[in-house]
Amino acid sequence: MKGARFDQLRTFWAEFRRVKSGLVGLALLGVFILIVLLAPWLSPYSQADKRWRDMTYWIDSPRDARPLWVNWFTSRKYTETQTINAASSKETITGSGSSTMRIEEMEFPYQYKAGYPPNDIMIKLGVTGRSSYEVLIVRPDGKQMSYRGSTTIEGAQVVRLSVVETLASRVYAALAPSEDPAFAAQKDPTQIDPMSALFAKAQPGVFTNPVNVPGTYTVKVKLALIGPDAKLDTSQVLVMGGVSGILGTDDGKRDLWSGVVAGTKWALLLGLLTSLISVAVGVIYGVASGYFGGWIDALMNRIYEVFTSIPLLPILIVMSAVFKPSIWIMILVMCVFFWTGPVKTVRSIALQIKENAYIEAARGLGASHGRILFRHLVPQLLPFAFASMALSVPGAIVTESSLSLIGLGDATVVTWGQILRDAFGSGAVLKGVWWWVVPPGLAIAVMGMTFAFIGFAMDTILNPRLKTR
Amino acid sequence: MSEPILVAENLTKWFPVKRSVGQVLRGNRTWVRAVDGVSFSIEKGEIFGLVGESGCGKTTTGKLIMKLLEITDGRLYVSGEDVTHVRGRALEKHRRAVQMIFQDPYSSMNPRFTIRDVLMEPLEIHKVGKDMKEREAWVREILNEVKLSPPEEFLVRHPHMLSGGQRQRAATARTLMLNPSVIVADEPVSMIDLSTRAEILHMMRQLQRELGLTYIYVTHDLSTARYFTDRLAVMYLGKIIEMGPSGTVIDRCLHPYTQALIGAVCEPVSGKVNQVKDVPIKGEIPAATNIPPGCRFHPRCLYAIPECWEEVEPKLVDIGGGHMVACRRHEEIERVGAAARTSEASLGIRRATRIS
Repeated sequence: MKGARFDQLRTFWAEFRRVKSGLVGLALLGVFILIVLLAPWLSPYSQADKRWRDMTYWIDSPRDARPLWVNWFTSRKYTETQTINAASSKETITGSGSSTMRIEEMEFPYQYKAGYPPNDIMIKLGVTGRSSYEVLIVRPDGKQMSYRGSTTIEGAQVVRLSVVETLASRVYAALAPSEDPAFAAQKDPTQIDPMSALFAKAQPGVFTNPVNVPGTYTVKVKLALIGPDAKLDTSQVLVMGGVSGILGTDDGKRDLWSGVVAGTKWALLLGLLTSLISVAVGVIYGVASGYFGGWIDALMNRIYEVFTSIPLLPILIVMSAVFKPSIWIMILVMCVFFWTGPVKTVRSIALQIKENAYIEAARGLGASHGRILFRHLVPQLLPFAFASMALSVPGAIVTESSLSLIGLGDATVVTWGQILRDAFGSGAVLKGVWWWVVPPGLAIAVMGMTFAFIGFAMDTILNPRLKTR
Repeated sequence: MSEPILVAENLTKWFPVKRSVGQVLRGNRTWVRAVDGVSFSIEKGEIFGLVGESGCGKTTTGKLIMKLLEITDGRLYVSGEDVTHVRGRALEKHRRAVQMIFQDPYSSMNPRFTIRDVLMEPLEIHKVGKDMKEREAWVREILNEVKLSPPEEFLVRHPHMLSGGQRQRAATARTLMLNPSVIVADEPVSMIDLSTRAEILHMMRQLQRELGLTYIYVTHDLSTARYFTDRLAVMYLGKIIEMGPSGTVIDRCLHPYTQALIGAVCEPVSGKVNQVKDVPIKGEIPAATNIPPGCRFHPRCLYAIPECWEEVEPKLVDIGGGHMVACRRHEEIERVGAAARTSEASLGIRRATRIS
């Protein structure tokens, strides 16, 4: 018995191997499964899945960075992201007891070579206790800009000073004298690009037509730690590059590769679960409808028609307005609508099978309806069920993506549709942030293709009419 | 005379014909009168034959006995118990007592099942046997019984890996799994090679003797019916028109329809093979929705006289020796038949010319 099943499986595999597209689909499915299994190693941000929407998790990565490999194709390179530690530091202690004050002086040299300036420079200071600090950026030409601040509370805290966010006006102030006075007077300080100005030659046009100057740009930090308990925990300068990671980052600084990897799991889960449940329900429904016939069949057909004629999208919109949008509710609702897919075909196959004498023979032996359905009819429909399962996976994934895209998705998980929604929400297409839109879109398409290939291959083998041999 | 094991009293099955909305509103109802009042009684250990053309209701009668179809009217008794409308436990008991061999051994077994699965199924359904081991032993025993040996070789095979004869043996084995008392054999050999037919029938008869089975043998093949059955009933349009011991019914048939049936049998005897016979019958079998008034055979009968369609249908009457016939002219036919046998003249042809 087992041997016979195994033989059938082997024959099936022998036939499947002949369908090239099926093999491609199987290989792609293997890749997707590997991605899911290896996600912790593939993704540089291990908590990307859980903390996708937690902006503090992503705070130290660059914003709007292109994928790393973009540099392979451009003549003018983008800066890579790097972390600079203090090259030199000096500590002086004054006072004693409760009036102790320690002054830390540190220098962070940054070698700016050429190409596009970095997206941002962030000075990161981890301080415990009260302190006051002065940050000084010194350009190769001696121009400098400074920023003063202080920490006033007790306990550990991290100070992040971003050139783009907090030092833009200082950059303007330092370079405005070099700019054409007519222009400098009319130009709004908030309108300039501080990073390109910071790395540009101090000459007229520094704001409008910057010429980047390579050289050593030094960040100097002078930190006064007040009180005996105050101390410096960490100090780093983060150069936020123009390129980062395999797929770049979005405007929320999130690493898109980590997002796409995390999304694979959800796409597979919701695709397979939805198709499994809905095809199982559909096959059993169709078989029962065909087998029982008569008024039961008529009633089941009417119910089927009701379900097929309800448009899915408005229902889902209402559902997500009523319930908190959750991926599980979405799977449930999709099952409620997708089970109708195989019903008609299965019903017609069941009508055909039930006319066989062995069904009547089984009835004559006293077999219950349940036994006839599940022992005699359903096993014959399993091949068809598997094929239609594979073919209905893309539908589920695309539906989830479209719902996420229009803002009805589950915001607590990372799906490709969610990433796309964020991209469209922040105008990624208009801003030309293609690396935010293309990868999740492509992933949806490839995942759909994977299951379509497998489904078509199974269909070709199992449907004798499609056999070309 | 022993107790009858199966009694059918005025057994009737009418199928409703699908109606249009207009017909439903007008209250028109038409019926296919597939079985239209059939009565017989079968004794234990008897082989009872039901013969007739296709569509005469013989298979439907078999299915009514199996209770695969709901009985419209009449009563059915098995071992003295009324099983006409049984349900639940009693129906289960009936299912165990009455089994059926189907006409087509190619479709009566699930192609995905092995012979083991096929034979295990009745045991699983009725929860016979303590464990797998006991069931397996029983399966082997039955396989030996139907001469499918060694059983190990057949247990793992699928139906399509067996020859027609082997399949019908396996199908017979399935009916024996539950120790039935009555087996309805619906044309068990009609789809089987001529060479294996006798073998199968021989095996069935042997089983009947060993296990004390009662067969209802449904067929259109008069020659195997004569060989195999003890008693024979000839059906026409849902009614039995002649019944009696097989030898009598075939050799001394009195109903014109039986005569026509017998006349139509091909005899592969030299000199007669290529001879197209004059079958003493005319026309086609009418639709079962529209049964002719009076004697239902009259439109095709060469002996029909006005009383045949003007008066009520003739009843089955016993003319001695258990031979029953439903024809109002059976006495005349017997007389002419006797004369014809002596003068070797063809009675049917003579009558036909006279009528026309």
